[in-house]
Amino acid sequence: MLTKFETKSNRVKGLSFHSKRPWILASLHSGVIQLWDYRMGTLIDRFDEHDGPVRGVHFHQSQPLFVSGGDDYKIKVWNYKLHRCLFTLLGHLDYIRTVQFHHENPWIVSASDDQTIRIWNWQSRTCISVLTGHNHYVMCALFHPKEDLVVSASLDQTVRVWDIGSLKKKTVSPADDILRLSQMNADFFGGVDAVVKYVLEGHDRGVNWASFHPTLPLIVSGADDRQVKIWRMNDAKAWEVDTLRGHMNNVSCVLFHSRQDIIVSNSEDKSIRVWDATKRTGLQTFRREHDRFWILGCHPEMNLLAAGHDSGMIVFKLERERPAFSVSGDSLYFVKDRFLRFYEYSSQKDTQILPIRRPGSNSLNQGPRTLSYSPTENAILICSDVDGGSYELYIIPKESITRGDTVQDAKRGVGGSAVFVARNRFAVLEKSTNQVLVKNLKNEIVKKSALPVAADAIFYAGNLLCRAEDRVYIFDLQQRLVLGDLQASFVRYVVWSSDMESVALLSKHSIIIADKKLVHRCTLHETIRVKSGSWDDNGVFIYTTLTHIKYCLPNGDSGIIKTLDTPVYITKIFGNTIFCLDRDGKNRPIAIDSTEYIFKLSLLKKRYDHVMSMIRNSELCGQAMISYLQQKGFPEVALHFVKDERTRFNLALESGNIQIAVASAKEIDEKDHWYRLGVEALRQGNSGIVEYAYQRTKNFERLSFLYLITGNLDKLSKMMKIAEVKNDVMGQFHNALYLGDVQERIKILVNAGHLPLAYATAKTHGLNDVVEDLAEKLQGNIPNLPSRSSSLLIPPTPVLCGGDWPLLRVMKGIFEGGLDNVGKGGNEEYEDAGDADWGEDLDIVDGENIQNGDISMALDDEGAPEEENEEGGWDLEDLELPA
Amino acid sequence: MAATPDLLFALRNNFYLGAFQAAINSGDVQNLSEDDAIERDCLIYRSYIALGSYQLVINEIDSSAATPLQAVKLLALYLLSADNKETVISSIREWLGDAAIGNNPILRLIAGIIFMHEQDFGEALKHTNASGRTMELYALNVQIYLKMHRSDHAEKELRLMQQIDEDHTLTQLATAWINLAVGGSKIQEAYLIFQDFSEKYQMTSLVLNGKAVCCMHMGNFDEAESFLLEALNKDAKDPETLANLVVCCLHLGKPSSRFLSQLKLSHPEHMLVKRGSSAEESFDRAVQTV
Repeated sequence: MLTKFETKSNRVKGLSFHSKRPWILASLHSGVIQLWDYRMGTLIDRFDEHDGPVRGVHFHQSQPLFVSGGDDYKIKVWNYKLHRCLFTLLGHLDYIRTVQFHHENPWIVSASDDQTIRIWNWQSRTCISVLTGHNHYVMCALFHPKEDLVVSASLDQTVRVWDIGSLKKKTVSPADDILRLSQMNADFFGGVDAVVKYVLEGHDRGVNWASFHPTLPLIVSGADDRQVKIWRMNDAKAWEVDTLRGHMNNVSCVLFHSRQDIIVSNSEDKSIRVWDATKRTGLQTFRREHDRFWILGCHPEMNLLAAGHDSGMIVFKLERERPAFSVSGDSLYFVKDRFLRFYEYSSQKDTQILPIRRPGSNSLNQGPRTLSYSPTENAILICSDVDGGSYELYIIPKESITRGDTVQDAKRGVGGSAVFVARNRFAVLEKSTNQVLVKNLKNEIVKKSALPVAADAIFYAGNLLCRAEDRVYIFDLQQRLVLGDLQASFVRYVVWSSDMESVALLSKHSIIIADKKLVHRCTLHETIRVKSGSWDDNGVFIYTTLTHIKYCLPNGDSGIIKTLDTPVYITKIFGNTIFCLDRDGKNRPIAIDSTEYIFKLSLLKKRYDHVMSMIRNSELCGQAMISYLQQKGFPEVALHFVKDERTRFNLALESGNIQIAVASAKEIDEKDHWYRLGVEALRQGNSGIVEYAYQRTKNFERLSFLYLITGNLDKLSKMMKIAEVKNDVMGQFHNALYLGDVQERIKILVNAGHLPLAYATAKTHGLNDVVEDLAEKLQGNIPNLPSRSSSLLIPPTPVLCGGDWPLLRVMKGIFEGGLDNVGKGGNEEYEDAGDADWGEDLDIVDGENIQNGDISMALDDEGAPEEENEEGGWDLEDLELPA
Repeated sequence: MAATPDLLFALRNNFYLGAFQAAINSGDVQNLSEDDAIERDCLIYRSYIALGSYQLVINEIDSSAATPLQAVKLLALYLLSADNKETVISSIREWLGDAAIGNNPILRLIAGIIFMHEQDFGEALKHTNASGRTMELYALNVQIYLKMHRSDHAEKELRLMQQIDEDHTLTQLATAWINLAVGGSKIQEAYLIFQDFSEKYQMTSLVLNGKAVCCMHMGNFDEAESFLLEALNKDAKDPETLANLVVCCLHLGKPSSRFLSQLKLSHPEHMLVKRGSSAEESFDRAVQTV
């Protein structure tokens, strides 16, 4: 039994698989109905409206509905999308044991302790038929999957088959009043539209469960007499075929497996038993320590079963579905059914090579697990769990394949696992002695070597890769040395890259990538089971989980390539084509879009030429890619994917691309963006753009200060005039201070009425005529100034006048130039930005300069100041003075 | 077989396959027992001898060293110049006669090698065939028998080797030698052995020559030439490579005189040179008699 999922809860009495989604409903003795995702292992929802145990639950095949029936005599129909009960069907007079939707009609069948079976129409929400006849509790009632039949099991020791053909006819034909009347009568008087077809007697005690075979006219039933009985029916009669004995207590549920020729039953003896439906022999028994089993569920489409017990439920598989395979060059060897097959990738031809021994039918899950191939000797080793682990060695005949079914006499042996280690040598793990036996193709032991750490499996690794409890290690058989080891929990599969330099170790939920000495490179964790993987030619590991094809880059970055409907096993990758084996043993090429991971890989390997050509030629885009690029420190690359100006602006700032930032800022034209542009430009020392940004935000203080530090005295004096015009006394004063223009400062102070201050200024600067003037005005109210000579605050003469400072070197990197060409087609605004010829750009802002007419006037009066530092191109007059 | 790690494996293996410098490099192993340490030293000195550094070996091994090392020194002396031959042979005979050390396998091995160089196969076998033999002694026996064109005896030796360890590098090598000597369908197997070596370990000129000879036997002279040229890249003066190239080029109809003169210059004692010159002599004689 391969347990896929297990829950702990109150006693589980009812189970139902969803036909499409990985969901299962479990109804509990406590009254709760749980909805689980058994793939993710999460509880999706719980429905708690029943009073007392809920014994029956069932998903609708296509609608988002399920039905439940409980000990509160209620049948409830729920919509799981709306998370609520839609309505309740009342009518039963005792506990309800099972409920089930019909596969095509809008019907529900229910079985109850009131000794009746009822069929309901869930659209009209009425009971359309009551099937009476059982004279004890009806434990179970189920529709036939195709025909108009119902099978029921009752504690009256019988199994009954009911014909509901007339019920169907009635619903199909248009209902007239008379018919409806008769139907009503029928409801009252026990109905005639569902009649007992067969009564199957044979069980000595109450029967707990009966169910139909999905295709054959067979019924299987389980009863308190601890027996499972198989019944066959034809048009006229039904009869008992066989009895399966083995359970030690009441059999609670039994059903035919939907995909294999087996019967599964469970019982209060705490066991699940699997029986061969043809040979009618017990195949396997799974026991639990303390939990009695109550219910079984079988997935309608997949190879999955579920069982509910006293303290929860389990979802399980009986047989592994992964085909054993081995890749060698252009060919794949794999096992399908009982044949070894050969698939050639180049021609996509699939041929049967030789029959292999039929896996023992006396127990399940004994099929081939692994396959190892020696190309030079054309030999195949197949390992399986038969006899607690054994291998078979086949030599593929050179002549054309024989059609006959004669099984070649394979050389066999017992061993944990067996794998070819050299052309004509294979290693077999002998777990009991923890030895590796090296054998030749005659199956003779050539050498024995004890392993340093107890191993439970061996894999190929050039040498041997051994799996111990919590680690794997590489053991050299000749040197008897451990060459490398790595912590890894229960590695299931080992995938080597073609150059044997890298290895991927696949566990249930993780992938570890290491090099050939098992030096750890990265670990990936998956919430969903990892199924298979293979290396592509670029060193990217492509793998599958239950639901996706994903990639893993050498640095551990991973992502989804494609979603899968059904699990597949990757065998080999050729460029954009992934070759997979599916669970039916068919080879499928799957085309994938490798652009994303190749792009990321190129970035990672710094192959920027590739990156650039990919940007030019493909439509890589999306928020995910942008944030990936940002996160990996390539905002300049991300820049070229973005159309949105705000994002462009942010990315441009991040990558220090001022030109693009300016272009975007112009488009956005918001104060905040100009400010941020200014900050970045200041950081880079691009004072022209700082100035531009400050101008756009009309941030005069900053602008003045900028002129001060850049030594642009002309513009500073112009700023002073602007401040004057604007009546911004403080600004004016600041500018005067920056300019070292004492006269002006005194003038400002006088104008502002701060005569004592003006006086003090004049005095300290030794402007005696002004001092006298002011003394007069102050009329004796002359402030007392310290007499000691103080150093005067005069701003130093600027070292550098105007122009940009030496710019901070911005890492434009490899993309400089190259990428700019890319944009030329689509983005004009950054094309001209890229030119960095600011002389022209100024025209754009020309019209919308500082809008205060007065200023222009005032400045006009002043006359255009002399032009200097044309170099920068950011002449104020261009900006502020309308020509 | 015990699970104790075989610490000298890499060293031994490299030496057997002719990767002498790699052997010297892999000799740095810690925690060796005394016997293992002596074996390691022997292998390293023999690697130096194979590389032609005779004087180094002679200088480094002083008189207090263990018997096997003294034997190795003798080999170096023997190979250093022809003048030493007499003294070396006489001292080796003397040592072999000494009951205390006469049975030392490495001493016997060296004796075997020296007598084989002397073409004195009978004497060589006398020492290599005594009881208490190592894999190397078996392998030397195989070599001697093959030189004597007694592949039947060589196969017997091989069977003994296979019983001890079929996957041992020397066993595999000996198998390949015998297969080459026997020829025919066995060539394919020899080729696979060399192929295995080249996949598992370093490509040495020994392995490449082995592959090339197999190819020549099978008639694939083009492939053989590519192997030989690869070997020539590794060691431009290797006599075997040169000799094989001469043969290969003759078959391909390419000029071979340069390889031959190179061989004559660097290895005047090589079999091919000797045979060539003796054939020339005979031809001259024949001409004169006419």
